[in-house]
Amino acid sequence: MIASTEPNRNEWSQTGFRQLCMYAAVGCVAGAIIALQIGIMRIFAEGSWAHFGSLVVSLAMLGFGLTSAVMCLARHWFERHWFGVIAGSLAAFAPLVVGANLAAQQLPFNPIFIVSDASQKWRLLANFALYLLPFLAGSLFLGTVFLRAQRVFGRVYFADLLGSGLCGLLTLGSLFLFRPDNLVLVPVTLAGIGGVLWFTGLGSRKWSIGLGLITLAALCVHVQLPELAKIPKLSVSDYKGVSYARKFPDSKQQYEGISPFGHLEVYSSSYLHFAPGLSDNASLNLEEMPANAYLGLYVDGDGPIGVMRDLADKDTAYFHYLPMIYPYLITNKPNTFVVQFGGGISTMVALHSSSKVTVGEANPAFLKAFRESDVLKNFTKDILNRVTVIPYDGRLFLANTSERYDVIDLSLADSAGLSNPGGFAIVEKYSYTQEAMQHYMRALSSTGVLSVTLWNKEEPPKSVLKLFATMAAAARANGDKDISQHFFVASSYLSTVTVLYKRDAFTQEELSKLRQHTSSMSFDEIYSPGIKVDTVKADHVFKDFHDSIYSVDSNSAQATESMPELESEPAAEDTLSEENALTVPASLLNQLAWQALIKDDWKNFSERYLFDVRPLTNNHPYFAAYVFPKDLPKITDRLELFQDEWGYLLLWATLAIACAAGLILIAIPVIFGWRTAFNRYPGKSQTILYFACLGFGYITVEVGLIAQFIQALSNATVSASVLITGMLVFSGIGSFVSDRYAASARTTLPKIFILIGALLIGYSLVLNPILNAIGGLPYPLRLLLCFALIAPPAFLMGFPMATGMGVLTRLTKEHMFLWAWGVNGCFSVIGAALVPIIATSFGLAAVIATAGAVYLLAIPAFFGVLKPIVNETNI
Amino acid sequence: MNYLLKKITFAVAIVCASVSLIASAAVPKTYTSDMVPPIDSKEAFVNWMVTTRGEDKKFLAQRWDRYQALVQRKDLTNDQTKRAFLLTPREEFVRKISLAHTYDDNFLDIGYGVTISGPHAVSRMTSVLDIQKTDKVLEIGTGSGYQSAVLGHITDKVWTIEIIKPLAERTRGIYDGIIAKGYTEYKNVRTKQADGYYGWEDAAPFDKIIVTCGIDHIPPALLKQLKTGGMMVIPVGPPGAQHVLKITKEANPDGSIKISRSDIYNGKVVPFVPFTKLEGDAIVGSHNK
Repeated sequence: MIASTEPNRNEWSQTGFRQLCMYAAVGCVAGAIIALQIGIMRIFAEGSWAHFGSLVVSLAMLGFGLTSAVMCLARHWFERHWFGVIAGSLAAFAPLVVGANLAAQQLPFNPIFIVSDASQKWRLLANFALYLLPFLAGSLFLGTVFLRAQRVFGRVYFADLLGSGLCGLLTLGSLFLFRPDNLVLVPVTLAGIGGVLWFTGLGSRKWSIGLGLITLAALCVHVQLPELAKIPKLSVSDYKGVSYARKFPDSKQQYEGISPFGHLEVYSSSYLHFAPGLSDNASLNLEEMPANAYLGLYVDGDGPIGVMRDLADKDTAYFHYLPMIYPYLITNKPNTFVVQFGGGISTMVALHSSSKVTVGEANPAFLKAFRESDVLKNFTKDILNRVTVIPYDGRLFLANTSERYDVIDLSLADSAGLSNPGGFAIVEKYSYTQEAMQHYMRALSSTGVLSVTLWNKEEPPKSVLKLFATMAAAARANGDKDISQHFFVASSYLSTVTVLYKRDAFTQEELSKLRQHTSSMSFDEIYSPGIKVDTVKADHVFKDFHDSIYSVDSNSAQATESMPELESEPAAEDTLSEENALTVPASLLNQLAWQALIKDDWKNFSERYLFDVRPLTNNHPYFAAYVFPKDLPKITDRLELFQDEWGYLLLWATLAIACAAGLILIAIPVIFGWRTAFNRYPGKSQTILYFACLGFGYITVEVGLIAQFIQALSNATVSASVLITGMLVFSGIGSFVSDRYAASARTTLPKIFILIGALLIGYSLVLNPILNAIGGLPYPLRLLLCFALIAPPAFLMGFPMATGMGVLTRLTKEHMFLWAWGVNGCFSVIGAALVPIIATSFGLAAVIATAGAVYLLAIPAFFGVLKPIVNETNI
Repeated sequence: MNYLLKKITFAVAIVCASVSLIASAAVPKTYTSDMVPPIDSKEAFVNWMVTTRGEDKKFLAQRWDRYQALVQRKDLTNDQTKRAFLLTPREEFVRKISLAHTYDDNFLDIGYGVTISGPHAVSRMTSVLDIQKTDKVLEIGTGSGYQSAVLGHITDKVWTIEIIKPLAERTRGIYDGIIAKGYTEYKNVRTKQADGYYGWEDAAPFDKIIVTCGIDHIPPALLKQLKTGGMMVIPVGPPGAQHVLKITKEANPDGSIKISRSDIYNGKVVPFVPFTKLEGDAIVGSHNK
């Protein structure tokens, strides 16, 4: 006989060890759900594309909303059958995780064909549906637990948050042990432990053993079945970089490393060739390129990032034809700093030309690979031993050092990311922001040169224009009133662009060398002091680029009549007047951009341009979201043109789906229960608003701060770990403490909200400089200070949810109890999708400020929650 | 006994059906380089192709409709490329699973992480190269074999290299199969599995080079194997949004060599046209809608 099934006795009324087991069970299952989210995102990152993982997880989380709506309407049934529901959902979770994952991996979809192949959309839908199943089981468990634990909600919610936070950290730690294809073992194990603890708490040995066996069986199925049935555990798209490497006849995996910082693989093959931006003239003057000179490094299957062999002097002649050689043309054996080591190609070039080289690398997995792998050490002649290594972000080091460098190099640091097909992630590029450029410029010696090379493969140009604007703004912000003498810019059409900044003005001799080299490489001179540019064509170029994307009516074949004959000569009025003027419109546009920057007229330039080309700042650190939101409706029939924006476009899709789901969630009880279950409840709309504000506000702060804290912590994974753990644990404590103030909620909670709002709005104003300053401190101190920054708002943000749910319980608004939880979850998804949209449009500070405003908006809504049911006693 | 008889009868029926299928698939008339299909009407084209090449009417009708769209939007701009497009059975080079989409204006998956480019991309690249009958052409990235098949109708000097061994073998098999059917023009397409980075030195120099695989720089060996006065085209960017880079190798008046990069529109910005969808012979919209 199970104790809690006795009449009139709630399972939460138990004490001691058993009660502890039940709280721990809630924490474990909540943690399993977090682990599953992380696992799915890692699986998608490895197999196809991380953004679809986020989309799948977001939509799966909407399952919480769906469950809550159903439970809300059938509350009495769930209360009667609570044991069966909980037992069933716990028993189903592990098999569903394993089964859904294996099934989804047999139905891989390819993002590259999602526009052109209708079947891919069905495959994506199947992935959604499959991964939704375990989340439904998890939400049924938590929903039923909350339903039964209304009287102790604050404590149960504390267990839920604490478990989520700690298990999130545990899952990130488990990334050191499990490759992405085995990551589902973590949520299965956690849920299994949760199940055993739950039934131990209830005193049911039989169910405990049963749950344990089911979990073990699920683990065995995941480990053994794929091998026996010869099916993949994780389908890696044929279009991932690593898939090509695996197909080369002579390819061999030379290194593999797993960690939260990525799944690193290094392959050798004679088929791997790297020479990013190599001048075409190399073919005229070089005898041959060195053979077998590279290894290919892949992170989560993306790449390759080139790893260069230590070459004999006779083989290094081709360095002269690479764009990254530019700063060394006008310096003599400089003291060089390479901002991002990456695969080490630019470091090899630097070593070839410099007296001393220092490199920064924020990804510890890269440094570990180069330090521990004998293959990599032999291949590169132990490159890290020949340079000074800064084991974190070069940007942060340069911001806080008194050392001065003759050359600072940031060359194609994100080469894989910028050249990959299939969509670019919206990730914070703090190494390219105006503030970072200012630090680099300040860290130059008096004759020092900053050299930044970026891919120039977009037409119409996008990222290079942002880079230009950022570097010019940085020079101005550093006090250079006339920046015209400090820059030299060269590019190669559909290849690379290199921007050189010299702290002192370039001398005529240096300019002469740079121009001569540019000419001898057949590169295009985009800017140099005194360059003449044909600005007459400016209007024409702006209009043509705009029309090239937006003007054609997709359904009108006649529109194509305006297309020129391929072989026709340019019309007479299009012929450039300057003898050496560029004929490629993209290069001409780049020249016009620099003319605008030199005249400090970027505002006018960017207003005329079809894409958003604002400079990158720490508040707005994105090479993404080039399409203005107002133009989004115009591009729906030409999405293939915006494959580099799919990460951004998917966010809009997620937002639209989440909003639709939110409306449905609110509509279900309205349609089916408003006139019955909720009829007696006053303040319904305010209650919806209240829990929507909490869901939206909380996730907005969490996701927004993860993006911002990368500034200080150098690494997205560490930042996510600190924020997920910190926020959930401190909020859990807040939720626990909130119980004490339950009786005085009417007066206490508005004050808490005011404090939260003030703190968040304050953070939005001062966080950037604070994080920048923290970034210069020793790493343990950085972590400590980051946790200290998170603690005050996170602690306070733990109060409102627990208090709000407590109020609903006290006022006997039982029907609303679960629904409120669902509304909260649903708006979490909306918030998560909206954060990058707000960030790319208005900046990260606006994200935190918005969250602050939303918490303030919850104050009037809270008074609606407090409205008692007619004829009921007020709290 | 009765069972055995049935089995034998069934086997004979299968063999007869296969022989009949092979016979019907054989090309009725031997290919000649002066063979030109009529372009005055769809019916005339289809009938001529059925009579001369023995191809499927359904695919021929789709090919004609796509041809009309390509000419209209100026992806096909010279007579030799138009002829090559009309003569090339694209349906032989796509996977069975994609047959229904053979003449869609879109790239299709052919396995191994490789796509067969859309008709517009192949037509535009080939038109830009303006290949003459006597030109020697090198293709890097054989893929499905469709691009080299189009080239094979313009010149009898085509060399093509594929890096992925199983794909190279599969495509060679496709070529052997259709050559056996009577497409003798494809005997002139020389294939090999190798690293295209180093070109095909034994056959160099080439008048035209077409590179259809991604790389972060132009391999110097390929530029070396390009004749002075020659042209190379390379699509850059993700499939569907590729920009075609044109590289020319010319002699300066002083005898030195000049290599230039440009777009294929002689300095003009060309409006993007969304992938078009055909219903019958009418363009009804984009694949995204």
